[in-house]
Amino acid sequence: MARTSTTPPATAAEPGTTPGLRLAGLTKVLGGRTIVDDLTLDIAPGEMVSLLGPSGCGKTTTLRLIAGFLHPDAGRVEVDGADITDLGPERRPSAMVFQNYALWPHMTISKNVAFPLKVAKVPRAEIARRVAEVLELVGLSHHAGSRPAHISGGEQQRAALARALVQRPKLLLLDEPLSNLDAKLRVRVREEIRDIQQRLGITTVLVTHDQEEALSVSDRVAVMNEGRIEQVSTPAELYRAPATSFVAGFIGSSNTLAALDLGEGEPGVTWVVRPEDVRIDPSGMPGVVRRVLPHGHYAEVSITVRDTDLRAFVTGAAPEPGEEVGVRIVRALRYRDGRLEDAHVEVPA
Amino acid sequence: MTALDHSAETARRPREARRPARPGGAGRRAERRRAAVGFSMALPPVLVISLFVGLPVVLAVAFSLGVTGGLNRTAAVIGQDVHSTDGLLTTAAYEQLFADPRFPRDLAATVLVTVVTTLVVLGLAIGIAVLLRLRGGWAATLLSGLAVVPLFIPVVIASWAILTFYSADGFLRSLFAQVGLQAPVLGFTVTGVIIASVWVNLPFALLMAASGMQAIPDALIDAARDAGAGTLRIVTRVLVPLAGIPLVIAGTFTAIGVLGQFTVPYFTGPNAPQQLGVDISKYFQSFNQPQQAAAIAVVVFVIASGVAATYVWANFRSAKQEGRV
Repeated sequence: MARTSTTPPATAAEPGTTPGLRLAGLTKVLGGRTIVDDLTLDIAPGEMVSLLGPSGCGKTTTLRLIAGFLHPDAGRVEVDGADITDLGPERRPSAMVFQNYALWPHMTISKNVAFPLKVAKVPRAEIARRVAEVLELVGLSHHAGSRPAHISGGEQQRAALARALVQRPKLLLLDEPLSNLDAKLRVRVREEIRDIQQRLGITTVLVTHDQEEALSVSDRVAVMNEGRIEQVSTPAELYRAPATSFVAGFIGSSNTLAALDLGEGEPGVTWVVRPEDVRIDPSGMPGVVRRVLPHGHYAEVSITVRDTDLRAFVTGAAPEPGEEVGVRIVRALRYRDGRLEDAHVEVPA
Repeated sequence: MTALDHSAETARRPREARRPARPGGAGRRAERRRAAVGFSMALPPVLVISLFVGLPVVLAVAFSLGVTGGLNRTAAVIGQDVHSTDGLLTTAAYEQLFADPRFPRDLAATVLVTVVTTLVVLGLAIGIAVLLRLRGGWAATLLSGLAVVPLFIPVVIASWAILTFYSADGFLRSLFAQVGLQAPVLGFTVTGVIIASVWVNLPFALLMAASGMQAIPDALIDAARDAGAGTLRIVTRVLVPLAGIPLVIAGTFTAIGVLGQFTVPYFTGPNAPQQLGVDISKYFQSFNQPQQAAAIAVVVFVIASGVAATYVWANFRSAKQEGRV
């Protein structure tokens, strides 16, 4: 049995270096309810970190605290070592891309993008140059004179990104920027965002409830629950060794069991088994296939084993519903009182 | 909806709705019948408007241009200084009006009161609406509540109240006199008319401005703040342009209302200059010059049409921005 450390890394920055963004003990109470609860997180310069969690977990409130739209009841926000907690959003070195893009409908795309520079009293020639540059970067040069209503959702999203990038912010904040796009476009745009973020090396915080989005574009993912960070890890670590049973249940698909042999378990101990670690093997426990959901290159198979339903991902030929099969669990995670105790329990055949 | 539900739905539909359009003459006849039914349903209000608004307007314009026969005959016979055309039309009534120094002076006063009142009303409405939208709180709520009070007070009562407040022996001067100061007399002055007009017209403008600004999504304001904009720039570059249509409606309605108003200037205004609304009444009743009264009404109508054109233009521009045209 191999053991894995469950302590989340507090920061990806090298020890002794100043983080690009530091959230120190952030707390926010709204309507008598603690939405963000003593949240601490360091993000290295140029790093992209996603805040991931279910609705109402406090991720958007955290982003609004970082942007300055809300003032924390306790705690500090630091960018490159400077405390910006008491600064309004207009004076913070951050730029935000809003969920619904928030493009001003009465302005053309180029005027939307130029707005922050006009406010900053940048000379007219430089405004024109920088707007042209950033529209080129996001591939919207041909829509410079269009109004937001006349371009597609994906293009509006990129225009909103251009408006944020033109400010050359130290910190880029993305509030569920892809949630209004269709599935195919979402994949393409998130790759574009990641590409631009890496090219420009901007410290970025992405808020999303879509785990696939968070896992695919982020350097690290912070999973939030009830105003607290449950775990901050790289996407691979997060999937391989979820620190809590909440994270295990939230990230990816999983089977939660009281005991591996599907009988009476040890009090306080739960087992989490990923569907890809459930194998169909004639030498395993006997079970009956209840349902088969084809997902293209693999099928999700529900199998009842001793009154317990197990989900398995099967590649190749999937069994038929009603078929009797053998089931073997090859790897499991063990949790004691909701905390990860062992991330790699190898189950012998 | 399941397939079963769908067939049930289909079964409930009237037979005609399911029948495919028939080609040829029968289809065309049915279409013509539907068109005739639609037209006949729209006809009563069109007839009423044409008869009781359209026709009198045409008659009045024609009367002001010297057409004194037909339905204008009675007014032409009774009225004084009626100019009849020898040919098609004559502008003699207008020439007489503009030759009289009273009319250009009253026209200028009317335009002045209209412009100043509209600007002040829009300024106050925008100010209170911005306060409500960006700050909120009890002060803004109280202010907006007070500002709509005049909506529930009849104009004639309000005019009289304002007159007694600002007149030479009114409340304001009495109050100032208590502490040995002299307040200006605003009763029976153009300034008094403007104050009363603002009082009367503010509620509607405020309701329009406040609803327009409340409809602006928070994200659009947050985006401006995030881009570095202060309050003034948010108001001028985001809130006012985005509430453009409600504000244009408020502005045009206020302007057209003030342009043709009667009660406020009749009660609170001076004998000279007078507003054109009062002039029309005077020319018609006191001077017995119905043709000149009609000519003044046409002048007011032309100015109001110019204001209305602004409204149409703003709506068209907004529709174009939103991709509706």
